[in-house]
Amino acid sequence: MMVTKQENMDFNNSSTHKRVDVSVIVYVIAFLWAFIILYPLFVTLMCSFKTNNEIFGKMFSLPTQWVWQNYVDALVDAKMGRALFNSLYIAALSTLITIVLGSMASYVLARQKYKFITPIYLLFIVGVMLPVHATIIPINRIATYIGGSNSHWFLILVYTAFQLPQAVFLITGFMKSISHELDEAATIDGCSMIGVLFRIIIPVSMPIISTAAILAFIFAYGELIFSVILLSDISKFTVPRALFYFTGLHTVRMGPVFASIVVGALPMVIIYTFLNQRIQAGMVAGAIKG
Amino acid sequence: MQKLQNKNNNLLISILLILPAFSIYLILLLYPTGQSVYLSFFKWNGIPQVPMKYIGLNNFVNVFKNPYFWVAMRNSIYFMIGGFGVLMPIAFGLALIITGKYKYKNFFRTIFFMPVILPITVTGLIWSYVLEPNWGLVNSLFNLNINWLGQPNLNIWVVVLVNEWIYAGFNMLIFASGIVAIDETLYEAATIDGASGRDKLFYITLPLCKESFKIFSVLCVTGCLKHFDLVYVMTRGGPNHVSEMPATLLYSEAFQYRNFGNASAISVIILVLSLIASIILNRYLNQEDL
Repeated sequence: MMVTKQENMDFNNSSTHKRVDVSVIVYVIAFLWAFIILYPLFVTLMCSFKTNNEIFGKMFSLPTQWVWQNYVDALVDAKMGRALFNSLYIAALSTLITIVLGSMASYVLARQKYKFITPIYLLFIVGVMLPVHATIIPINRIATYIGGSNSHWFLILVYTAFQLPQAVFLITGFMKSISHELDEAATIDGCSMIGVLFRIIIPVSMPIISTAAILAFIFAYGELIFSVILLSDISKFTVPRALFYFTGLHTVRMGPVFASIVVGALPMVIIYTFLNQRIQAGMVAGAIKG
Repeated sequence: MQKLQNKNNNLLISILLILPAFSIYLILLLYPTGQSVYLSFFKWNGIPQVPMKYIGLNNFVNVFKNPYFWVAMRNSIYFMIGGFGVLMPIAFGLALIITGKYKYKNFFRTIFFMPVILPITVTGLIWSYVLEPNWGLVNSLFNLNINWLGQPNLNIWVVVLVNEWIYAGFNMLIFASGIVAIDETLYEAATIDGASGRDKLFYITLPLCKESFKIFSVLCVTGCLKHFDLVYVMTRGGPNHVSEMPATLLYSEAFQYRNFGNASAISVIILVLSLIASIILNRYLNQEDL
């Protein structure tokens, strides 16, 4: 209010002048951060085509000759091909089980009014807060007792158990918001409870189910500690478990190690290239929980 | 009669729909968590044939007497400090960039978020080699001779910074969702009143993003106890335990020193602290909304 006209004009001038400066700074920062993100990834990709001589002390240089053999060594000798297959099918199966069983349970939790609904729902919510590391020892113990060590199906069920609370939480929340008129109309038309679930509720809930699926898949593909504890047979290793094998290992040839890293990252990069908006939205929804 | 039968049918179907998800969750997450609490009162070397010996709270006494436990707690606090001191400003700055009226902002957004979808083992290995002391990218680019991951007091901060490299883009989206929710007319009104860009940032954007800052705080505080993969891949908690986290210490107590009682006590401490943190923080979050 006390600003004089002259000051006001100066102020406006300086602010237009500033806006130009600010946007230059913004672009510099944005490109700098993009560079900081991409450069280590690019260097890794380049190293995956190099010989040791071109890696040691010259990680930043481009390969003079492209050693595709590194990839053959990674996929065959370092068994990364096998690990890639293992990881993809373990992640896919545990994701599928999580969303199928999760949607079934969520449907009842969101739509029925039995007395046991609230306690069970609350138990699932508690599961969202439980740190999975607290289960390492008992899971290891259960695996020994029931022969789950070194077996993929046990790992798949463990991943499913870890992802279910979040999936149930997200899907139930969404299903509660679906109008009851839809399923009432279907019931009057003679649709059974199961019919309502598969014909109405699941198709309408696809956005949140796909969010839960994305979260479950990313978790299962990248999970390290339980694969370290449960898998000992190299042919059963997942990608993180196989890559972990390289840490602290002084291998003779680094090229195949870098190729293995690229192979392990590739599926997620490909999926992200096609689904980046969905994945971003899904992961934020998963963190904020609704 | 027909109606009653339908009702009973629906109850049966409801139970059958919940049962698979609930039993997997119960057996592989809820029960193991409870068993961790139980095991924390016993001395046990992890071998099924060897009987467990009840020793009351002695495992907890051992853990609290263990200097590495306090190193692990200190390192968790370093992750929290890094979160608020480094991650938060970067993420908020990136959020301003991708919500502003700049070119290529979708490109930036996609690139900034990308590290989150890579398996942590991949990221950890990439940075381990980039920071390798003898031939790594950073030392050879800048002609340095620093043992980034081997030097006590330095290496945990290096891991913290790599953690911020991963999650900056993710938290950027949490702040961005707060920024885009702000009513555009507020900025227009402020411009008419002669507010500078800085005024708008401090008096409109920051206060109205309070919700995003709260979500960030909850994720940062509850997350700092649970870091495992990145530390384990990059330093394995070493050298000489200086970069231990609660979860890496749990792992080495159990699978290196065969001390499953102490390890279970650490599980229980992680469990209790993260439950307290999420309950208190979530309550605080919801109260502020009222």
